[in-house]
Amino acid sequence: MKIFGFIPSPRIHMDEVSPLATRHKKKRFTRSVYELLAMVLLGVVFIAVFAYLPMFGIILAFKNGDGQLNILDAMFNSSWVGFDNFKAFFEDPDFANVMKNTLCLNSLQLLINFPLPILFAILLSELPWKRVRKFIQTVTYFPYFLSWITYGGICLALLNSDGIINAILLHSGLIADPIEFVGDPKYFWSIIIITSLLKGMGWGSIIYIAAIAGIDPQLYEAARMDGANRWYRITHITIPSIAPTIVLFFILSLSGILNNGFDHIWTFQTITNLETSEVLDTFVYKNGVITQMYSYSTAVGLFKSLVSILLLTLGNWLAKKFTGNGVI
Amino acid sequence: MVLKRVYKKPLMVGTTGKKAKKTWFDYVNVILLVTFALLSIYPLIYVLAGSFNNGSDFINGGIYFWPRKWSVENYQVVIFDVRLWKAYGITIARTVLGTVLGILYTAIVAYAMSRRNLVGRSHFYRFFVFTMFFSGGLIPFFWVILQLHLFDTFWVYIIPALFSVYNMLVFTNFFKSIPEEIHESAEMDGANEFIIFFRIILPLSMPVVSTVGLWIAVGHWNSFFDTMIYTANENLWTLQYYLMKVIKESSMPPAGIGLPPELMNNIAPETVSFAAIVVSVIPIFILYPLIFKSLTKGVVVGSLKG
Repeated sequence: MKIFGFIPSPRIHMDEVSPLATRHKKKRFTRSVYELLAMVLLGVVFIAVFAYLPMFGIILAFKNGDGQLNILDAMFNSSWVGFDNFKAFFEDPDFANVMKNTLCLNSLQLLINFPLPILFAILLSELPWKRVRKFIQTVTYFPYFLSWITYGGICLALLNSDGIINAILLHSGLIADPIEFVGDPKYFWSIIIITSLLKGMGWGSIIYIAAIAGIDPQLYEAARMDGANRWYRITHITIPSIAPTIVLFFILSLSGILNNGFDHIWTFQTITNLETSEVLDTFVYKNGVITQMYSYSTAVGLFKSLVSILLLTLGNWLAKKFTGNGVI
Repeated sequence: MVLKRVYKKPLMVGTTGKKAKKTWFDYVNVILLVTFALLSIYPLIYVLAGSFNNGSDFINGGIYFWPRKWSVENYQVVIFDVRLWKAYGITIARTVLGTVLGILYTAIVAYAMSRRNLVGRSHFYRFFVFTMFFSGGLIPFFWVILQLHLFDTFWVYIIPALFSVYNMLVFTNFFKSIPEEIHESAEMDGANEFIIFFRIILPLSMPVVSTVGLWIAVGHWNSFFDTMIYTANENLWTLQYYLMKVIKESSMPPAGIGLPPELMNNIAPETVSFAAIVVSVIPIFILYPLIFKSLTKGVVVGSLKG
């Protein structure tokens, strides 16, 4: 690792290793081990409380706790109803819509917002002007540090009937009347995809830019000598070299396929565009916290968790099949 | 989880030779990328222009790049809004405290997990990683928050965010790459694991600390979901939640309170919310050069290579 180049590491030869250190290896429970166990205990307690204890709360999904006064009542003073809550979700008139929105929005994100940062990184690394490259990086990384409510809030204003988008369209004669972009369900998906590109493409490319920077320049040199043009250099050197990074991040994003980025959706969701904007995350929030359908929304959340695991396993299996190594 | 060691050089290395002749591709490419960059930053230009424009004039439209009728009255309204400053205080407090404690808590567990002599390491590993893929969901988590009496307290921002398995794995990966000799020589000098961690390992790990610290800090600064769900009191509003109230619900700062009446004629809800956005972005703007420098030096991304 490069960063350690300057660290003065004491050069100890094997025969100089102290007898103390070798003795440590033989004994299993040394003082050091107890200290490490104490450290790990911090994490174990945290995860037990904030990750495993909530799993016990899943019993809510199999109980009839909707409309109880509080979650505690819903959990312990309500009767068991088996899979009724799941049945209710599958029969909910909103079910098809919510699932469609969740899956389509995410598939679109995966199809468009996953590959474009890779393309962006490749194009950026092909730029011969160093200063321009730095300018583009400076500008495009910045929106990542803003919240969705900030960046999206501004975009809401831009998409207004008197915002700049409508002004340009009206001025160029493409439309006769201003369009209510945000209120109209027709445009919701496009808004989500485009705004997430504008805000996230720069930042999303950073990992690939780093990967490209790690490629040995001699490879490109040699390819140039052999007369390979730019297209060949990209498809035969750049892309194969960053393929492991691409696969890793593809699987990681696959596992989040049912997480729509609550903040993002919530910023752009209005009462009039629910038809295309209601996703599992917002659905669980509204049913669980606002209308206090504790059991129902827990069941929906559990359903989401299970589908996520299924997709992750599938993605990992595919990755193993095509690239020879999985991630998990 | 494999965070592979693929990044070796500092960022910003072109793949074409320096003296290569520029082709049409280079020109098309640069136009494309610069256009995208300008588009992605345009919302900020717009919000700046709008926030410095007279509110009642703004409603007539046409303010896209530069204010037409300069005015600082939008900012006057925002500055008089006590809720904003309270939210600012809460957000800064949770970001600083949450980041420092979060890094320490996560790193100390990660350190133990990186030691080969930890008994039962693979069991702990499975215990942790399982929770990355399966969770109880929103309502059961809410139940735990209620049980711990964290609901509607400041600590609901800090404690549940102290530890994250993903960040722990990033730390562990880095710690494993630190030469074992360093640990051994410290141990020979009689240092216990806590001293080794705080005095030797942590100072050596600044690249990964700054990476994960940046993630945690950005998360804290930008979060509003926890305010929305786990608090029920205006004194705990975070900056982003305040902005959401102002933008989405058009809840104007209390009109007329402490404001001269002639001011009210020169503002509009939209321009006031723009001013609030600008005020909330200032700290990020100030820190950004610093962050960007560490990003392009490869410190932040490079630390993932462990």
